[in-house]
Amino acid sequence: MRRLHKLLFLFIALLFSIPTAAQEVTPDVFQAATYLNRINLRAGPGETHDIIAQLGRGDSVTILERSASGVWLHVQHAYSGLDGWVVGGYLTLNPALRFSDLPVNTEVADAQTVNLFDPALQTLYSYPVLPTLSPAMTDLFAQGQANGLRADVATKVGDSLVANEYYLTLLGAGTPQLGAHDDLAETVAFFGEALSQPSTAARVGLASYTVMDPMWADKNICQPNETALACEYRLRQPAVALIMFGANDVQFIDAEQYGKWLKAIIEESLAVGVIPVLFTFSYDPESPLWANALAFNLKLGELATEYEIPLVNLWAAARILPQYGLDEDKIHLKNSGFDVLDLTNGNEAFFGVTLQNLLALRVLDTIRRTIIEPTLELNEGT
Amino acid sequence: MKKLGLILLLLLAACGGGSGGAGDPGKTTESYLQAKIKGEESTIRGLLCAEMEAVLDREVNAFASVTGVELVDMVCTRDATRSTDGEAVVTCAGKIVAQYGTENTEFPLATYRLIQEDGEWKWCGEAG
Repeated sequence: MRRLHKLLFLFIALLFSIPTAAQEVTPDVFQAATYLNRINLRAGPGETHDIIAQLGRGDSVTILERSASGVWLHVQHAYSGLDGWVVGGYLTLNPALRFSDLPVNTEVADAQTVNLFDPALQTLYSYPVLPTLSPAMTDLFAQGQANGLRADVATKVGDSLVANEYYLTLLGAGTPQLGAHDDLAETVAFFGEALSQPSTAARVGLASYTVMDPMWADKNICQPNETALACEYRLRQPAVALIMFGANDVQFIDAEQYGKWLKAIIEESLAVGVIPVLFTFSYDPESPLWANALAFNLKLGELATEYEIPLVNLWAAARILPQYGLDEDKIHLKNSGFDVLDLTNGNEAFFGVTLQNLLALRVLDTIRRTIIEPTLELNEGT
Repeated sequence: MKKLGLILLLLLAACGGGSGGAGDPGKTTESYLQAKIKGEESTIRGLLCAEMEAVLDREVNAFASVTGVELVDMVCTRDATRSTDGEAVVTCAGKIVAQYGTENTEFPLATYRLIQEDGEWKWCGEAG
């Protein structure tokens, strides 16, 4: 009798272990479909690349790779077999898609500059959206650690576009919705607490020159004759500073002056061992200050090259967004309005602040993986 | 008569004519802060000490990004205990108020250092 029971149990167990038809047909996470009427399939991950074909609403594609930022996806069109790059935000992705399972293509440049006639645009587009980190930054991080800086603290330096409560501060507001960007989870956990804190070097109305003016420093927490930048570095001891100025500056000073003040910010960061990450800023091409904004962004590129520091080319990445990622005032980046940091549903392709958040997390992820963790492991071993 | 005129002229100079007031570092500070909030380049240039000439552009544009800038309850007085011959420490009560969009922002006044150059008090930033 007991044997019969045992056989019956084994039979039932076997029955449940056999995959059902529904289980066998697991949806392919790399399949996606376009939901816009017409989207461009391009030769590379950027809007300056040649258009290979146009895809219509509902067209099926297979996702092959992603760009470093994850904003662009390399896909193969199911019907024609053509392969090319599309903005991931224009596709309905399988919710189970995880970028950690997807190869990253870092070979194809973010922009194809050969077709651009304006030398300024050629140069500005030539800076990749996300930087390759120089060995100098590893040395700088080690120097910062020797100076007592905190490896898991990254801070923000900038104007109202940086002081914006939707920029990274949202990490403290609830569980971030990373969507396909699951590979960022460790970086969010590593820097999240620090990034959710306000920075005394990020303030509405601030400019590259006033972050270096003690009059603009918070007198409640900063020392006499201390600039907001020095104050933030002293109080928070960050390993990394995400720096973005331009929207205010471009209205009042020229590119040479902007370069002078950015240089001062960079040199003060380097002197204490903080990795300064520069961000280019988006601007409206219809604005009378467009040429100035280009010159300012070019200056950032020159400085990043000169000092071998990371540059995030937000300007280039935002070119695909509606109104270049800008709000109606055409100065501030457009907020998503969500209560938590939300990278689902391709929000980065529609809201400037979401793109800014994504690129900030991406560059921090690279810094954490390639500089911070190896250095800390090495220090532990010695 | 000529002599009397010359004496009067010398007296006037000693009392401190000009934009900042050569005799009173507190008044110079007030003049400087008034010029700074308005971005008056010529006044700022005239009252800024030589060692700060490199930051003239910062001083002129310091409040350009905000609107409705005004000094509220400003009173600047020389701190005799911290001042020496040719160098004065001036503490200012009051604040600068301004708006950025719809947001109000304030800048409490602080303690400043002034030095005498060519007989005139020049504003030289915050005292450390």
